[in-house]
Order: sequence, then C-alpha cells, then structure tokens
Amino acid sequence: MKTIFLVDDSATILLSISNILGKAGYATEKAASGEEALRKFQSGVKVDLLITDLNMPGINGIELIKEVRKLPTYKFMPILFLTTESQQSRKMEAKAAGASGWIVKPATADDLLNTIKLVLR
Amino acid sequence: MDELTSVFIQEGREQLQAMENGLLDLEQDPDNHDNINGIFRAAHTIKGASGVIECHYIENFMHRVENVLDRLRNGEIHVSGDLTGLLLRCCDQLGRLMDVLEAGDPEPSAEVQAAGESLQIELNTYTAHAAPVAGGAIVEVETDAAGDVHSSGGGVVNTDSWHISVRFGLHMLRGGMDPLSFIRFLGSLGEIIALETVPDVMPPAAEMDPESCYLGFEIRLQTRSSKADIERVFDFCRDDCELRILPPNSKLHEYLKLIHDLPEDDMRLGEILVRAGALTQAELDEGLRAQLQVRLPGAEGAAESTPIGEILVDKKVVHKEVVEAAVHKQTQLSEKKAVEARLIRVQADKLDQLIDLVGELVIAGASANLLAQRSGQSELVESTSILSRLVENIRDSALQLRMVQIGETFTRFNRVVRDVSKELGKEIDLIITGADTELDKSVVEKIGDPLMHLVRNCMDHGIEPAAVREARGKSRRGTVELNAYHDSGSIVIEVVDDGGGLPRDKILQKAIDKGMVQPTQTLTDQEIINLIWEPGFSTADQVTNLSGRGVGMDVVRRNIQNLRGSCEVNSTEGEGSKFTIRLPLTLAIIDGFLVGVGKAAYVIPLDMVVECIELKSNTADRDFLNLRGEVLPFVRLRELFEIDGEQPARENIVVVQHAGQKAGIVVDQLMGEFQTVIKPLGTIFRHLRGIGGSTILGSGDVALILDVQSLIHRKTRQEERSMHANSALPRSTQAN
Repeated sequence: MKTIFLVDDSATILLSISNILGKAGYATEKAASGEEALRKFQSGVKVDLLITDLNMPGINGIELIKEVRKLPTYKFMPILFLTTESQQSRKMEAKAAGASGWIVKPATADDLLNTIKLVLR
Repeated sequence: MDELTSVFIQEGREQLQAMENGLLDLEQDPDNHDNINGIFRAAHTIKGASGVIECHYIENFMHRVENVLDRLRNGEIHVSGDLTGLLLRCCDQLGRLMDVLEAGDPEPSAEVQAAGESLQIELNTYTAHAAPVAGGAIVEVETDAAGDVHSSGGGVVNTDSWHISVRFGLHMLRGGMDPLSFIRFLGSLGEIIALETVPDVMPPAAEMDPESCYLGFEIRLQTRSSKADIERVFDFCRDDCELRILPPNSKLHEYLKLIHDLPEDDMRLGEILVRAGALTQAELDEGLRAQLQVRLPGAEGAAESTPIGEILVDKKVVHKEVVEAAVHKQTQLSEKKAVEARLIRVQADKLDQLIDLVGELVIAGASANLLAQRSGQSELVESTSILSRLVENIRDSALQLRMVQIGETFTRFNRVVRDVSKELGKEIDLIITGADTELDKSVVEKIGDPLMHLVRNCMDHGIEPAAVREARGKSRRGTVELNAYHDSGSIVIEVVDDGGGLPRDKILQKAIDKGMVQPTQTLTDQEIINLIWEPGFSTADQVTNLSGRGVGMDVVRRNIQNLRGSCEVNSTEGEGSKFTIRLPLTLAIIDGFLVGVGKAAYVIPLDMVVECIELKSNTADRDFLNLRGEVLPFVRLRELFEIDGEQPARENIVVVQHAGQKAGIVVDQLMGEFQTVIKPLGTIFRHLRGIGGSTILGSGDVALILDVQSLIHRKTRQEERSMHANSALPRSTQAN
C-alpha cells in the first residue's frame, strides 16, 4: 500500500483529503505544520508521496519542499503542493524548490486521485 | 452534522478569532506586515476549508474579504479606521454564517444575506480599481495554437491519431517526476499506437549525470480526449519541457514545422516520425523538398528563449531573498508553533464520557473500600486504599483534561470594549489579568454571556464621559478590568471599573418608585446596592441599545447560580464598582465531607469546611454561638429538613465559609472525607433551596449534597434582619 504524507495547517483540509485517500486505498501520514512534517522526514518516515500546503505559518510549504529535497532519502520522491487559482507566481517558486506538481484547491476527489496517480510510481 | 463540518466549524471559529485579534492589533500598529499576513492567512484558510466542505456562502463571502486583504497585503490600499471597522464587521458576518452552518440551515436567512450584500458593496469600494484577473495571456496562447491547426499550406497528413512530441527537462527526476508516469497516464486517456524514444541528447557515459533526464518521446495517441486534456497531463512539466501536440489529420507543414522546431537533426527526426507511423516516407520527402525553398534562416526559438531564462533566474533570485527574509522572521515564531503542534484535538463528548466513567469508578472504588473495611482483612484494606489513591489521581487528571484557560473568553472583550467605547464616545481601556487561570470547559462556555452583560454595564453606566472624568480629577481614559484567580476551590472572576460607582441614592429612589422597598424601610448600603440584582430594576435615565433594558442583572445572577456560582457587587461612589463572580472549579466531581443526621447522610463540599466543633447542649434555644469572640450563626439540619428521630446527646457543628462569611451546620455525626461524584437533581427539584445535587455512597445509598452558599445566605439574611429588628446585642454562648 502506498503511503501519502499530508501537510496542511487546516484540520478541515487534512481530514477531507485523508478521507478521500483512505477510501481510495492509500495510507496517510499527517502533519499540521511544516515543523512537524520536517521532524518526521528527518526521522526517516516511509512515504511515497508528499502533499503539502504552501501557505502555512512557521516553515511554509516552499521551505519544507526545499528542506525535504535536501534529505537523500527523498531526493526523487514526488512532491505535490496545494495551491489556489490566484497563486500562479508561487507555482514557479515551488517548482524551483523541487516540487513535482500541484493540486488546485478546491479539488474534486477525481482531480486529486488522478493527479496522485500521475505522479506516484 | 458530519465530522468534517464540525472540524471546519471549530477551525473556522479559531481562525475567525485569530483574524479578529489581528485586526484589533492592526489598529494599534498599522505597519506590522507580519500581522497583515497573519490576517490574510486566516481568511485564506477559512475560504479554502469552506470550499472543501462545499459551503459556498462562506466561500463566496470570504473570497471578497480575501481580495481586499490581498490588496492590503500588497500595499495597494492602506490601513484606515474605516477599513479595519469594515473588516471587523465582516468577521461578525462570518460568525453569523458559521452559526447558520452549525444550525444546519441550508442557507442564511434573508436578513443575514442582506447584511452580507451590503458588506460586499462596501468591500467592493476597496477592490473597484483592482487589475483584471491574470490569466488572459494563457488563454491567448491556446487560441493561437488552435489557429495553427487550420492554417493553410501543405496537404493533410492521413492519420487519425494525435501526435505528441515531448522532450523532458534535465531536472525532471530531481523534481520527483518520472517520465514513465506521464506516458502511463497518457495511456489512460486512450490507446498509445506508437512510441519512439528519442535519446539523442544523451551524452557519453562518462559525462552522463545519472540524476538528469535526457529522454524525449514521439508518441501517437488515439483518443477522444480534447487537446486541453492531453496538455493537462503534462501540466507539471510544461515549464521545463518541450511539448508539441498535433491533432489528428493535421497539415503536413505542421509536422514539418515540428521537425524544425525540435532540437534534433531534421532528417533523423523525420525518420523517427516515419517509423512511428505519423508520416509516410513520401509525405516526408515532399515536405522537406518544399521547405528547402522557403527555409527561414536562423534559429529564432533559441534566441527568444535566452532572455526568458534570464528573467526566470532574476525572478528566482528575488524570490530567494524574499523567502530568506521571511524565514528569518518566522524562526522567531517557530518555537511557539512547536508548542501548539503538541496539542491533540479531542471531541468534547469523548471527554465527557471519560469523566462519567471516572465518576462511576470513584463510586465503585468507594464501595470496594467500604467492603474491605467491613471484612477487616488488613491486606485487602491496604490494597483498596492504594487503589483509591490511584483513582483519586485519575480523577484529578481526567478533570484537568477538561480545564481550559479563561483567556480566550477574556480576549473576546478586547473587541467588545473597542466597539462599545466608540459607540458611546468614551475612551476606555481594557486590562486583563489572570488569563491563564483554568476552569472547567462547560463553565467557560456559559460564563461568556453574563460577563458580556457586566462589562457592557460597566462601560455604559459605570465609566463617565471624558469631560466628567476630568472634572472629577480622573484621567480621561476609563479602565475596565477583567481579573481571574483561584480562591479556595473556586475560581473568582472580577469585573472592575474606575467609573462613578453605583449611585446609592438613585438606586434607593428607583426601588421606592417601583414599590420594591417601602420608604420607611431602613437598608444598609450593601442592601441597597444589592437591589440591582432584583428583577426589573434599571436606573439608566435613558435606555441605550447596549444595556439598561432592566432585564440584565437578575438574568446575570440566575445564569451564574445555574453554574452553582454566586455573584456580588461592591461599589464606592465616585471611585468605581467591582462585580465578583465566584464559580466552582468543576461541575462533575468534588471532595466532599460526609455528615449524618438521623439515618440520612449529607455531603458538604470539603473546600468550604473550616473546622468541626462539638455543640454544647446549652444552646438548645438559640441559633448562634460565640466562636472565639465571633458570632457564628448556625442551622440545624434536623430542623431544616424535618428529620425524624431522637436528637442525640452530642451534636457537632461543621463550620463552613463561603465568600468570607462563616456559618455553622449542626449535624449528628461526622463521617469524614468522601470523593463525591455530583449527580444533578431531577428537574422537579430544581428550585429546592439548600440542596445542590446528590451522590451515591459506597454502600449504594443516596446522599444529598448541601448547597452551602444558599444555606449561609439564608442564615445571614435572617441574622441581619433580627439584628435590625431589635438592634440589641445578641446574648452569646461560649462554645469552647
């Protein structure tokens, strides 16, 4: 079973995405902040894909992506970030930081699962 | 309500509070960019989360608010009193919308919608000159590409499949993407008829970087999907890969253009296309011949791409600096955030369930204890006593789980004081102390309304207008204080103002006018002040929309009494007034002191017990005694509750204290400390004075819990009356 790591400071979004993923047969790992996620990555959590929000207090999504990419274990792991229509400029920034792709919020379950299918190996 | 919605409501209210606090800070410090970002983030989170739960009325409303905040964040508009006022009103509206969601209504009432619309009109004045939404450029590119399909020249290539040429970027693998993913995903759109790998840019093995991607593909795809759908597959790598998509039956010249545009050698690419079946050899030959005559000199594409690359690099540099600066600031915040991350959200009813279970455990433990003691086996007694000590610890920890700080309730008043002082045209500061004082969550929830009433009253009736204050030699700005602290098993909340105090004469006059007291009656100052707690009392000369409808104070008192609490008021005319609310720390389990009268058992909350003394028999006809020079009134439970049975030779007095007043309770037996799980009385007993609840003893018997506060109140009132009536010194009896 593939494990997907979700990072979002919104409990609503964490819960809704993990519900969708759970129904689709994925295991999930969750963190409510960049700091918490980074700690888990540093301790070598075993995941196949990271999905992170960009806009978070403390360590934001872009910083998180940069830091995670620095860790050898996760050098080639697919990373998706959550974004909104209005944040086109941040897409470039996140891609430059090492993200693989993005999911535009609010996404339907199909959009979400299709995107995940695209990037998961 | 489903779990997701309730999570949203909780989160939304937290973010709303954060937004409101941020806006209040913004008024004080308009240039704090971190704060503006925080406000924006809160609004943004609410909008995003409301989209997820498909609550469109909140999403749409927050979208407007976010637009204004975005402009504020970008420095396009500036902080003003009007703007923060408007945004605060938007917070109120959001709170109303949350109420609608929480109530489970399908959409807001007409009234709420109208309020939302008028706010939107105001919000629009801040976004009216905003630039149109970006994205027009992208649309143009797409129509351009579509136009190409129909352009003239060259014969139609006889193929009914799409042709996709893709050259992936070098950094693709390092971005966590796998070229195979795209091809596999493409396969899910239709059938891949042919696929040719183009590894031409692959350097010799010695120079090759295994982390780089050197691959390109020529793909023929049969599908009913649109061009946009196919393009979307490559969304994530569009920026750093070369992608050409030709629709079925494209013109030959378009294939030729493709061949020219791609970096590989024309001839070689042509061969690949032929091999893939996109073109026939004849088509290719014809095309290349025709092209030779009109061949354009120079590689335009390459020349164009350089500056774009430079711009990108520039952009990256800018972003890097911005990010670094932001990170530097955020590290200061990160420690606080780390603490928050250690919190676990638990649903309140799960906690209540736990507390209930612990209650049962306490009762069961008490019964085991009793049986062990009866059995006389010392080992059993010892082990049950260890058990009951542990149960006590569990009880305390479980109750601790429900304790929350009162700070959140208090900070709400920042907003109230700001709004109300503006409305009244008074200058009022709010001072909060003891925000970290903890009390039971269910108490916190219910204390908000009574506090609101008291604070509003203080501001409306208490604090004088600035001019009057100056005339009285006070500072122009009035203060309202909210204090909280623990005091012998209860929590005390004070609402203090430095205004004019309660006008004794005015209150008395009003009470006489209303027929609440007789003009001939003599009342102490305290008794007069206490008249404000009576139903239907109001002294404001003018009824404002804040307070002064005369329904307030008795409702406040009733609400507090429902929480097993009490309230009192002290006031000095000209200097201010102080309202003191006393609440029990918890509503579920207390340490009790068990006493017996006849065959019945009663529990007195242990926190209120001061001492126990023996009652000498020579006080039979009195109901007070001299306790070390102090008059101590007492009640006989036997008389009060009309209990049958002989009065024993020796009686005991339990001396209790509440809010500084002492009284005695006469009982037959003292049975010692007892952990008491409070079971509420049924609704028919709700108005019973003197009894606060019931509990179950280890033996299975029911014991009533005495409401000491109302007993004392009753006793001291009687006492005061009789003192006034004959104003003679009572004859005292020596107790010890």
